[in-house]
Amino acid sequence: MDRRTVIKNLALIIGGAALLPACSQDKAKSKVALKNIDISADQEQLIGEVSETIIPKTTTPGAKDLLLHLFVLKMVDDCYKKEDQQAFVAGGSHFADAVQKQYGKTFDQLDAKTRELFLLDIEKEIQAEMLEAAKRDSATVPRFVGKYSAETRKFYSMVKRQTINGYTNSKYFMTNIVVYELVPGRYNARFPYKLKQAV
Amino acid sequence: MANLNIDSVKDRTFDAIVIGSGMSGGWAAKEFTDKGLKTLILERGRDVKHIKDYPTTNMYPWEFEHRGQLPMAIQEANPIVNRCYAFGESAAHFFVKDAEHPYIQDKPFDWIRGYQVGGKSLLWARQTQRWSDFDFEGPARDGFAVDWPIRYKDIAPWYSYVEKFAGISGNRDGIAELPDGEFLPAFPLNTVEEYFSKHVKSNYKNRYVISARCAHLSTPNQIHLDQGRVQCQRRTICERGCPFGGYFSANASTIPWALKSGHATLRPFSVVESIIYDDKLGKATGVRVIDTNTKEAIEYHAKVIFVNAAALNTNLILLNSKSHRFPNGLGNDSGVLGKYVAFHNYSAHIGAQYDGAKEWTTDGRNPAGGGYIPRFRNVYKQETDFLRGYASGFSAYRYPERSWDGVGSSLKNNLANKELGPWHVGSHMMGETIPKETNFVSLDDKQKDAWGVPLLKMNVDYDDNDEKMKKDYIEQLTEMFTSAGFTNIQASTDQRAPGLDIHEMGGARMGNDPKTSILNKWNQVHSVKNVFVTDGASMTSTSCQNPSLTYMAFTARAADYAMSEMKKGNL
Repeated sequence: MDRRTVIKNLALIIGGAALLPACSQDKAKSKVALKNIDISADQEQLIGEVSETIIPKTTTPGAKDLLLHLFVLKMVDDCYKKEDQQAFVAGGSHFADAVQKQYGKTFDQLDAKTRELFLLDIEKEIQAEMLEAAKRDSATVPRFVGKYSAETRKFYSMVKRQTINGYTNSKYFMTNIVVYELVPGRYNARFPYKLKQAV
Repeated sequence: MANLNIDSVKDRTFDAIVIGSGMSGGWAAKEFTDKGLKTLILERGRDVKHIKDYPTTNMYPWEFEHRGQLPMAIQEANPIVNRCYAFGESAAHFFVKDAEHPYIQDKPFDWIRGYQVGGKSLLWARQTQRWSDFDFEGPARDGFAVDWPIRYKDIAPWYSYVEKFAGISGNRDGIAELPDGEFLPAFPLNTVEEYFSKHVKSNYKNRYVISARCAHLSTPNQIHLDQGRVQCQRRTICERGCPFGGYFSANASTIPWALKSGHATLRPFSVVESIIYDDKLGKATGVRVIDTNTKEAIEYHAKVIFVNAAALNTNLILLNSKSHRFPNGLGNDSGVLGKYVAFHNYSAHIGAQYDGAKEWTTDGRNPAGGGYIPRFRNVYKQETDFLRGYASGFSAYRYPERSWDGVGSSLKNNLANKELGPWHVGSHMMGETIPKETNFVSLDDKQKDAWGVPLLKMNVDYDDNDEKMKKDYIEQLTEMFTSAGFTNIQASTDQRAPGLDIHEMGGARMGNDPKTSILNKWNQVHSVKNVFVTDGASMTSTSCQNPSLTYMAFTARAADYAMSEMKKGNL
């Protein structure tokens, strides 16, 4: 079973979950115009911090520099099914609650290292879940139960997938890291390649 | 009937009418206007002018709002066309949306359409192989369908004729079942494709892996420059429309060529409701068109009518052209009109890995897409328990392996990794399906579209022959991959409905006997001599080669015949 199927199955079980109220006191709306999901400024900021933890600013631009968190919101708003969008919104709250419960702080109050460890912890659980799902017949729904809620895992998966999608398809990445050519003009079918030459 | 003003009849009278402006209609228009015939080209969709109307053609990936993906609302509103691989953010504007042009699926059929000037010639995968006598003699030998009224020698000069103008790249491979043509230089196979080609040649009798033949200008000739086309730039984003005219489309080639002659009138937004048959004259006198903007009905007249509306719409028009003489559709004395529809079976795939040749890669992009394995089953004799056979695509590729695991600077480093992983190889099946009477399309007697034309009903399905062939493809390719030393071999099938191959054919098939066919050996309706059908509807059987090149050759041949008959006063 591939990652897509797992996500689809997750969506199936999450589909019926009630939308949990956002635990934000600040009811200011997100900066991007969204049609389908209701995101507060707080939630937008959380997504920004998670994206920035996934793709941080180093000697090269990070998620915030490239406005990847706004891209994540745009993709969630336009390109996902309704049940995925609902899980995403609920998952943002679950995520914030899990941080609070584990550290007694909000995500942006954590130092960079702790943020990474927290995300990696969720990621470990997603991988365990996928491993378990792969062992089952694809028609059955995964029964994985973990420390984090299914919505939290879903939220994190969507933020990560779209952060990387936005990053690897950004103008910055495609003109500096890999060079995308609109018009290569050539096709060399037999081109020498030396191992490690590219690193 | 609105506006049938006597004074304007002259303005609505032409030497020739061509219904459809795509792959084959463009050729009819070109041939007629080259010879000075006053020609009306009817297109049901909007106009698409070469370069000017390719809105995404020069966009970078990051300039697409959703990086190529279509919004869910569009995907959910278009479940049928959304299954087509090319329906994405960069080319969605060239596809028919499900709700706009409904049809009835008595059996599931994914009808993928492009209603615009140029039709699907903007969207095709540009693979071009000649058919051979193994295809044209197939039905007579194997006992399916009816005998083709022609043989390879009849069509060969016309293949040459259209190849020179369209521009086809390929090698002269000397394979009897895949005749050579008038080729521009081929796009070469890469290291691993070449390795597999040599392996197959030395280990199997009559099996070949060749460079795919395609309608791209690898090196243009003067005739291509005269069309305003230049060398293919290896962009491989062809479905957006090519500003270089690097591949053959009606938009870049035949339609502007016909318009330049001064003899063509192009009328977009014109749904052909029916062909008008005159009982007294015993021939067709014109066509009845509904203007899609005004809903006005208009009649156009001509000496000769070419029907090139794409296979199933051609069937629809003929079935809907009812008269006292032809109550069941134009030329349908035999009752076979709409029947014996067949298609191609693309529902099996196989992938693997190759651990050799690590010192080689490729640079740039290959518009031909890689290799092609001509049909090797039941060619010289019937050797399996299924009829006919399959061709296969084959390609090898390497890409940097970029792990998405982890977060932070280590993830950033992984994503920036330029080091290439091993070679991956892949193949997909291109199977011939057998035309059967039970595979047919018909008109619904109640439901009509927005222009008052009855909806088409689909009754087309796979059969046992297709299942056996699919199984054989997986067995044979698995064996060939294994013996070549490929590892991690994974075969898969999908449950796609017929149609998604976009190679629907038949319904108004050619044949010697008017009792079992609609068209004669000149693609001429047996009983209505001034109506010709030269698109996919005319195919007696489907071969496993891609059909577009054959439609072009049939069209040029039939147009030449029609003009000589007109000169003799026979039409």
